Amino acid sequence: MSGVGSTQAAERRLSQLVTVLAFALPVIFVLVPLAIFLVYSFFSVDQGTIVHSPTLGNYVRFFTDPIFLPVFWNTIVLCVSVAVICILLAYPAAYFLTTLKGRWRYALLMLLLVPLLMSYVIKIYAIRSILGLNGFLNKALVALGILDQPSTLFVFNMNAILLTLSLLLIPFAILPIFLSLERIPQTLLRASDDLGASSLQTFLRITLPLSLPGVASAASFVFVLAIGDFLTPQMVGGISGFTFGRILYSQFGTAYNWPFGAALSVALAIVVIAAILIGERFGRSRGTSV
Amino acid sequence: MNQNTDLLTLRSVSKSYGTVPVLHDIDLSIRDGEFLTVLGPSGSGKTTVLRLIGGLEPLTAGEIWLDGQEISRMPINKRPFNTVFQDYALFPHMTVSGNVGYGLSVRHIKRKEIASRVSQALELVQLGRFADRFPAQLSGGQRQRVALARALICQPRLILLDEPLAALDLELRRQMQEFLKSIQREIKTTFLFVTHDQEEAIGMADRICVMQAGHIRQLGTPHELYYKPNCEFVARFFGENNLVAGKLGPVQGEQRPIETALGRLVCSVSGQPHLKAAADGASAFAAFRPEALRLADANDGDNRFSGVIADLAFAGSSTVATIMAGADNAAQRLRLRMPSRIDGSILKSGETVSLCFAPHEGHLVLA
Repeated sequence: MSGVGSTQAAERRLSQLVTVLAFALPVIFVLVPLAIFLVYSFFSVDQGTIVHSPTLGNYVRFFTDPIFLPVFWNTIVLCVSVAVICILLAYPAAYFLTTLKGRWRYALLMLLLVPLLMSYVIKIYAIRSILGLNGFLNKALVALGILDQPSTLFVFNMNAILLTLSLLLIPFAILPIFLSLERIPQTLLRASDDLGASSLQTFLRITLPLSLPGVASAASFVFVLAIGDFLTPQMVGGISGFTFGRILYSQFGTAYNWPFGAALSVALAIVVIAAILIGERFGRSRGTSV
Repeated sequence: MNQNTDLLTLRSVSKSYGTVPVLHDIDLSIRDGEFLTVLGPSGSGKTTVLRLIGGLEPLTAGEIWLDGQEISRMPINKRPFNTVFQDYALFPHMTVSGNVGYGLSVRHIKRKEIASRVSQALELVQLGRFADRFPAQLSGGQRQRVALARALICQPRLILLDEPLAALDLELRRQMQEFLKSIQREIKTTFLFVTHDQEEAIGMADRICVMQAGHIRQLGTPHELYYKPNCEFVARFFGENNLVAGKLGPVQGEQRPIETALGRLVCSVSGQPHLKAAADGASAFAAFRPEALRLADANDGDNRFSGVIADLAFAGSSTVATIMAGADNAAQRLRLRMPSRIDGSILKSGETVSLCFAPHEGHLVLA
């Protein structure tokens, strides 16, 4: 009896341990670091050492200094543009995928997602060489007679960041849109045909509204990934392509002002959380069951 | 709305999926204003017939005619038919009135007219109070009625119903059967109803088309199918039946004898020339319903044989006896149904009894 009792007690302890870990791990690895960041944002730096006394100075500087707010705002606009471009390109691709049958559908989906397996830095290098003065894009435009001579419009500026981020993040937009399109029951489309709708009407009134949750989550995905990225702007942005991510990076690196960097991170985190909440709100559709 | 004119005609219609044939050379005429039920076991091709008419699938061969006009290749959204789908296929992102008005709004009908016709249709299916609900907020029976309202608001020539009651529980199914029938009588639109449930078919249909393995076996009123099945499949599939195999004897006026393990049984062949024309000695079945079989008394001469009562089952209003008859009282299993009596059955299990059925209640089916 006592043997059985002790194994039962051991099992109970194990399950308690698992429960505690399930709650503790996110707390230790997500919430605690965020809290540390938040605390740091109220410290200050004096001659290279961190002063551990609370101050609102970092936030005052963020809101009053003429540099930071405009860059912050421009970066948000840039990332919204990236999200819009990604959706516009990914939707037709995802829609096309759902019109394919059986194994072709998933083979092609895999092909579209393969870039995700490649190194991020290598992809940026590849795109930079395509956009450069002697890159594929300029050569093609000159060859087609659209441009007289290679343009510097595509690299080391905001355009370059926009194009590169869009290219890098399209797979993240295709997947949720594809999944939401694929979840639409075929009988709904047949019912729409049956009631006399043309294929355009069926698309606009049934397919499109029912796939909006996927579009919303794709947009928030892309936006969040784009706004947190500092490597892409660093590598293709040049001097004029200055984003909030680069400022953040410089605060932690060259400027060695962790408290100010932490304050900027808090501002970024608020935008990211807002984007995720908005995406989630639009992603929830009324009564998805048939 | 003349019940005798044909609305829709299928001529030698065949359908294959890849190399698998599912319909063989179907000919079928649907009369204007009738309630026609296509009845068959699963895999009989009944749903395919409906999908071909609705335009959900292309024909492999044959023609479909509507009012003297061929529509075999007319696209689905141009056909003046509407379907009530098995799973209702309501649009989850639209309210009840959005769903019902959909067929009108894609035809660019004025908002005001749509609103008034939607409320009429919802009144007809008794869902006026639910106009602003979403499908997810409705019960199965209510969704069913929304699907019906959505189909009939476009005033189609034909409403196609694909096992629409299959997902409902028994009580609700009964109510919906009566409801569908009363709606059909009220709007006088032709209904083509597909089901595998023969009780449903008997209860609602003006005519029933029985299908099996991609062929139409018989088309007729429920009464005709019940009392004059034209083949073994229909005789066995449609209601409970006793079939006894034998060889046909020579025709005697409106009757014909058949030599069976139960002896010589005489059955009516009145009004059925193919049964009169069959060769003597041809294999056939004597068919008689459980309620036609009864205990014989001294006056009964025809179709008399003895059997042992193997089992008695009380089924409420009636009592069903399973009887073993023929050689050694073991060769042939029969069923007898009689009204139940409050003071207990007059039959006793294990008893040997003398049984008979009247020749005019017997029927012949060629094997």
